[in-house]
Formats: sequence, structure tokens, C-alpha cells
Amino acid sequence: MIRRLILDVLKPHKPGVVEVAEALSHLEGVEGVNVIIYEIDQQVENAKVVIAGSSIDFESIKKKLEEMGATIHSVDEVAAGKIIVEEVRTPQDRSARM
Amino acid sequence: MKFLEKIRRYIRISEVAPISRRYFIMNAFDGATTVLGIVIGAYAAEITNESWVIWSGLGVSLAMGLSGFVGAYMTEEAEREKKLNALEKSMLTELTDSVVGKASRFASLWAGIVDGVSPALAAVVCLTPFFLSSHGLFAINSAIQLSVAMALSIMFLLGVFLGKISNRNMLFHGAKMLFVGLIITFIFFMLKITQ
Repeated sequence: MIRRLILDVLKPHKPGVVEVAEALSHLEGVEGVNVIIYEIDQQVENAKVVIAGSSIDFESIKKKLEEMGATIHSVDEVAAGKIIVEEVRTPQDRSARM
Repeated sequence: MKFLEKIRRYIRISEVAPISRRYFIMNAFDGATTVLGIVIGAYAAEITNESWVIWSGLGVSLAMGLSGFVGAYMTEEAEREKKLNALEKSMLTELTDSVVGKASRFASLWAGIVDGVSPALAAVVCLTPFFLSSHGLFAINSAIQLSVAMALSIMFLLGVFLGKISNRNMLFHGAKMLFVGLIITFIFFMLKITQ
């Protein structure tokens, strides 16, 4: 039972972010969507897509994105289960950043 | 998704609206001008039978409609295919079944329909007085005058439409188009006089 999904997506300029976000939000099990464009190229753009819901079906998300002409570059975060578990910072993470 | 909503979505994604507007104006103007030529030609030849004008007008409408459809469809298809291929290269994926591919195919068809229907429609509208005349509603001379007036009105309205699109003076744009129509009419009548 996926509750939160963070994807790195490559998409054409059209359909726009509004249309993509709207289409994803209409899928079953999805309660909220956030799409942020972080890089724009001449033909394409990169977007960070955050999806939250009670029971997200990854395959239907992938299918919808492909239908919109977009492709998933990577799945950057998945939160599943009865509660959403946030990323936990450990001393190792801190030392890794230094 | 509802049919109309789908069409609106394809129009939005393919950005075909401006090009189809151009096709519409250009070809409706062509249609009206062609029928204007036929009607004034019929007047110069002192035709007394409406069916001559009707059939030659319909023949021209059909030819313009078909050539418009095929020409625009094939041109748009080639251009859009090129654009889609470039996008597919950037995306490193096939987009044929995506909404982008579907919108691209729809845009070619839409441009073809607009390009084909607009001249034929303008031509048929200009021929209406002759249909009515053939049913005995009025004399052929009145049909000629009415048809010329209708062709000039269509040109004026197309100009008004252009003015509306560009957010400029609609009457001025209408008058500009009407002026072109009047020049054509004047040339034809001069030819008749010098005959």
C-alpha cells in the first residue's frame, strides 16, 4: 500500500504541468499531487512529481505518465504502509555530507 | 473523457488553433474569390441558365475542398512527424501512443478538414442565390447581384475576424478585405466592358 511516491520525470513541454498534475490527481488512490519543474530544455523539461494518497498504484501512475508523453527517470522515494515513515537522518549521513 | 473535451485537449497540446485559423481565412477567401470569378464570368458570358453557374461552382467547391484537404493534411503530417521525431529523440522514447502523438495526428487531420471545408463552404454560400433562383424565387440577374454581394460580405467578415484576432480595428480590417474583393470585381467588369 503505497502512501507517498517521489518521481523524477522527463516530459515534453506540452501537455503542461497543470494538465499532468490534474490527470494524476484523478487516479484512484491518489489524494494529492505536486509537480515541480526544476530544469527546462529546448524540447523537454524535468519535473519532480510528488504523489500522496491512501493506496497509490504505481503501475497506473506510470501508465498515466506515459500516456501524457512523460517517462520516469527514477523513483526517488517511496513511502508505504499504514503510516508514512519519514527519512531518518543518522550520524553517518551527516559525516557523509561533510 | 468526453469526445469534445478530447478534441479541445488535442488542439491545446498540438497548438493547431493559430494555423487552422490562418488556413480558414486564406481558403475561405479563396473560395469566395473563385465563386466571384465564376459569377462575374457568367454575367460577362450572359448566361441565362442558373445550372451552369451552380454546377461549375459546385465542381470548383469540390475540387478546392479536396485539394485543400489533401494538401494541408499531407503538409501538416510531414511537418508534425518531423517535430515528433525530434521530440522522441530528446525523450529517448516512442511517443506514438501518448497524448502527444495522438494530438500530432489529430492536428494534421484537423488542418486538412479546415483547409478543405472553408473554401468549399464559402463557395457554396455564395452559390445559394442561384439555388433559390433555380427554384424560381427570383431572376438570374438578381441572383448574380446577390451572389456578388454575398462574396464581398464574406470577404468583409473574414477581415472583421482578422481584426478581432489581432485586437485591432475590426471595421478597418473588414474594409481592407472588402477593398481587395472590390478590385477583383472591378477588374472583371472592366474586362466585360472592353470585350
